[in-house]
Amino acid sequence: MSRVYIHPLPVRIWHWTNAAGFVLMILTGVQIRYVGLISVTSFRTAVTLHNWIACVLIANFFLWLAFYLFTDKIKVWHPELDVKKHFAGSFRQAYFYGYGIFKGEPNPFHVTPYRKFNPLQSMLYQIIMMLLVPIQIYTGILLWNVKRFAGQVDFLGGVRVIDTVHVLIFIFFLFFIPFHAYLGTLGETVTAHFKAMLTGYEDVEEHEASGAESTPDGHAGKA
Amino acid sequence: MNSWMKAGGTTRRRRAAAVATTLVSLALLLAAAPAARAAENQPSAASEPCLACHGSEGLEKALPGGEKLNLHIDGGVFATSVHASIGCPACHADINLASHPPSTKTIKSARDYAIAANNVCRGCHADKFAQWESSVHAALVRDGNVRAPLCTGCHSPHAVIKGAAATIEQTPCQRCHQDIYKVYIGSVHALARRNPDTSYAPLCSGCHGAHAIKPVVSSEGPKAACLGCHSDALDKHQVWLPNAALHFDIVSCPACHAPAAERQVDLMIYDSRSQTQVTQEGVPQFELRPGAAEAGDTLDAVALWRLLTTLNPKGAQDKITLRGRLEVRTGPQAHGLADKSKALRNCATCHRQGSDAFQNVTISIAGPDGRRIRQEASPGVLTSVISTNSIGGFYAIGATRIGFLDILAILALVGGVGASIGHATLRFLFKRYLLANRQLLASAAKGPGKTE
Repeated sequence: MSRVYIHPLPVRIWHWTNAAGFVLMILTGVQIRYVGLISVTSFRTAVTLHNWIACVLIANFFLWLAFYLFTDKIKVWHPELDVKKHFAGSFRQAYFYGYGIFKGEPNPFHVTPYRKFNPLQSMLYQIIMMLLVPIQIYTGILLWNVKRFAGQVDFLGGVRVIDTVHVLIFIFFLFFIPFHAYLGTLGETVTAHFKAMLTGYEDVEEHEASGAESTPDGHAGKA
Repeated sequence: MNSWMKAGGTTRRRRAAAVATTLVSLALLLAAAPAARAAENQPSAASEPCLACHGSEGLEKALPGGEKLNLHIDGGVFATSVHASIGCPACHADINLASHPPSTKTIKSARDYAIAANNVCRGCHADKFAQWESSVHAALVRDGNVRAPLCTGCHSPHAVIKGAAATIEQTPCQRCHQDIYKVYIGSVHALARRNPDTSYAPLCSGCHGAHAIKPVVSSEGPKAACLGCHSDALDKHQVWLPNAALHFDIVSCPACHAPAAERQVDLMIYDSRSQTQVTQEGVPQFELRPGAAEAGDTLDAVALWRLLTTLNPKGAQDKITLRGRLEVRTGPQAHGLADKSKALRNCATCHRQGSDAFQNVTISIAGPDGRRIRQEASPGVLTSVISTNSIGGFYAIGATRIGFLDILAILALVGGVGASIGHATLRFLFKRYLLANRQLLASAAKGPGKTE
């Protein structure tokens, strides 16, 4: 086994800030929405916390965006433009998670510094970071000061529509956050991915580390 | 004195005459002064012939239908009124003393007479009359409402004293709005008005105007009155209230500042293009259903959606929407304003599912006189998925949340946690199975012995 540096420090800081922030946003959001059922803090305190944590997450998002826009690490986000290859890789990965993993088969995807997301991860993370999070930020800002942004709120159908979109994305993250945390245990060891996101280094097999037998998309096989 | 004594006899007589004349004039002047003051509190001379008869108690005229028109005028009271100096003929110019009595005028009813006489006020009080004509009171009079006040309804023309209507005890509004007046008396405004330091606190006319009284339309008219005095209210609320400006738009001031009041939601049918309320004309659901409320018929989410679809046919330029307001249920309750220390500040009072504020819902439209015509709606319209677009503009976080989304949220959380636990469990079980199989396979490979 050898160690490969795949998560630079800015990415790790962004990731854990995001993780803590998302969990706190969910908790304060639940307190706001379900004030009759839950009473951990007052409604007003929950709103205040929700607003301040939102500011941190918005700044965090733009730090993430700036990091990838202005470094060569943007390559990890390069999409697989060959549709056949993309679907083949996605299916292979889904097959592994849904069946092969139970048979003890090895993960078909191997991380490299410039290819650290398997096809399913890449697709989902892009949807999250490029679509869902920006929409959540935008609807959240509209809800923070409905009167100031009344024109946009009315154009989009009114505050109820804005809130429904915001809540639907919240519902998605209610599913995603626990599942994402669990998927983090599907490394070589249960804690491998967690250690990687703390130290930056992932432990990989020797031949994988050299990349000699990895295909450009990170899958095992001849180049 | 010496020079005066030294003057000649003729001069002394002249001077004495001058002094005497002056003294007599002064005496006459002093004697006349009380008489002059008495004349101010006396009806003018032109009124005396009238009061000779009309000053008699019990003087009345029989009208068709058995009604009696009171013709008695208390001369003493009239003398203290502001109209005393102008006299009877100034207003009753149609009476020719040469031929009166008897009166040959045909008077159908006391109300008819009062309405006809009302126009006399316009002659001197044109500006106030014009304001009254634009008011809801005048609209009610034109509608045939026999209780709606004319000028004389608030200002008895034979007893009017300038400034009397602007006192708590004598404000004429209490004659018809007794229930509101009783609540107002105990309110923070009335208490402040009785305090010499805050006597500028509003009476009825302070918020509603004295003559150009308009129907209470959501909280816009009275709200403007509130903010007219409490101009820094928004700044003060923004210190602690999230989305303060939005609250000011949607929540009427008494909804929080009359803490004992019951609250309700009114969904106004609104033309978002012209920023005005939609009127009843041309809206069949309101033209044909005036008695719907009495019949127990309420609008549900589907009916509301149909109503808006009817009002917004495809291709129509106007965008008819529902503009929601949180307001107080009754007029008297809305006047029970208390000190700000008693105002609602607990967000959970409203932002909680099942809050009383959202258990009563009406849909309203502007009537011909500007007053809103309401129809009951089911409280479920505020939380239905179908209403997401219908009531897109009204939403109270938590209180009017769509229940269907709560089910989705539970499914999502159970799915995320359940899928994780399920997958982990399967891995655990398969791992044990594989380990067990490997040992079996390994032991099978070694075998009891090789076949020779």
